[in-house]
Amino acid sequence: MEVYRYQQFPSHLATVHVALFDNVTNADELHARLIRASTLTGSEGETEREAVNFAFIDARLIASIQHLKAAVYHAILAATQGGLKTKSVHSEIIWTLNPTNNITEALRRYGVSASSSSLFVVRVDRPLDGLVERLSTIVHGTLVPLDSLKDMTNWDTIKKHYKLNDEPAIRNAAGDKDVERRKIDRIVTSSVATKIVMG
Amino acid sequence: MSATQILLSQATQISQGAEAAIYKGRLSDSGLDEEDVLLKYRFHKGYRHPTLDASLTKARVAGEARALLKCLRADVNVPAVRMVDALEGVLGIEWINGKSVRFLLGGGAEDEEVTEEMADGENLPEDATEELEDQLLEYNVSSDEVMTMIGTEIAKMHLADVIHGDLTTSNMMLRLPSPSPSNKTELVLIDFGLAYISTLVEDKAVDLYVLERAFSSTHPASEPLFAGVLKAYEIRMGKEWKAISRRLDDVRLRGRKRSMVG
Repeated sequence: MEVYRYQQFPSHLATVHVALFDNVTNADELHARLIRASTLTGSEGETEREAVNFAFIDARLIASIQHLKAAVYHAILAATQGGLKTKSVHSEIIWTLNPTNNITEALRRYGVSASSSSLFVVRVDRPLDGLVERLSTIVHGTLVPLDSLKDMTNWDTIKKHYKLNDEPAIRNAAGDKDVERRKIDRIVTSSVATKIVMG
Repeated sequence: MSATQILLSQATQISQGAEAAIYKGRLSDSGLDEEDVLLKYRFHKGYRHPTLDASLTKARVAGEARALLKCLRADVNVPAVRMVDALEGVLGIEWINGKSVRFLLGGGAEDEEVTEEMADGENLPEDATEELEDQLLEYNVSSDEVMTMIGTEIAKMHLADVIHGDLTTSNMMLRLPSPSPSNKTELVLIDFGLAYISTLVEDKAVDLYVLERAFSSTHPASEPLFAGVLKAYEIRMGKEWKAISRRLDDVRLRGRKRSMVG
């Protein structure tokens, strides 16, 4: 797990915890649990929502850590400016990752789904202890270093969602995988960073 | 103080113009691999009505970010965008490790007084050429290759209908060869503050004309250099070159502004 600190944000939004899980076996249960948590009422609902108060992101659609961090940064920035388009800073991260403004589509594509086998788990908060232990009871999988992402990314899906196939940046790469991936990463990271002014 | 104002207060200011101030900073203060970002801050202009100021700033930050993104998709070498805060007027872009083409061609740093350069008797033309090749040595490119890169990047940009609006050798940088992104020297176009989208031949021709004038005013004996730029531009533009070339000749006769008489 990695922890990033952002001094410029208010303390309850200044620490970002990022964990990456591989070989996740309970993605469908997790998905069902998130939906249930959102519909529960009363104190039971409060407790359950706090228990799963994270952003669960399908790692296949993340091009680089830089890409993920750009989405986290803009979600926190929106939260500090009262500009959240969704209900929480965590859902805002997922919304920011999607090229369109459709919240349901963003959750379906970038959030956890039954087919997810690798997951980023992000928590924006004050510095928290014992998060890894807590997460291991929620996500059944192997906690891996963040640079394991390089074997998880599904570049074709990213190209499709961002409509990159006909762009000169991709065509000029002429099939050189390394060049192409570097260019895709630059485009999607910049797209996420500029999303708030594109609308 | 807002988050972005705190971010600026922790960054180092490196230059200041009439429209914006430039800072070097970091978005996060943790992680050894945290990279530097360049922050362009369009500060509040006290001489404008606050409402107008806010909407102009927002529109310009957004416009610059959009132009950069369009260039990235069109395979033009430009800095990647790292953060945008349109409310505060801040655009954060990738830090480019290198120097401006103006500096490398011996045009001096932008702030340098012209009189100082003139007084400096050592800057004789012959020496200058040698000096220039020395500076470019670190980048492992010749000045002719630099001209080819300039022409190619501008052509890629114009093919995507992005007009830079302020093409000068100060607004182009050579990025030092490094393990990433490509292991070779790249020419990077910067400062899209005046950029806009246009398909008009006129706008593309004027963009080139502005650069031609910038070359002749900052670099002595620049004609062969600029010819190299146009050659590479012509090759990359293909069939669109003819119309732009013809229009460039017109623009040279009349200047940047069209006559609106009649």
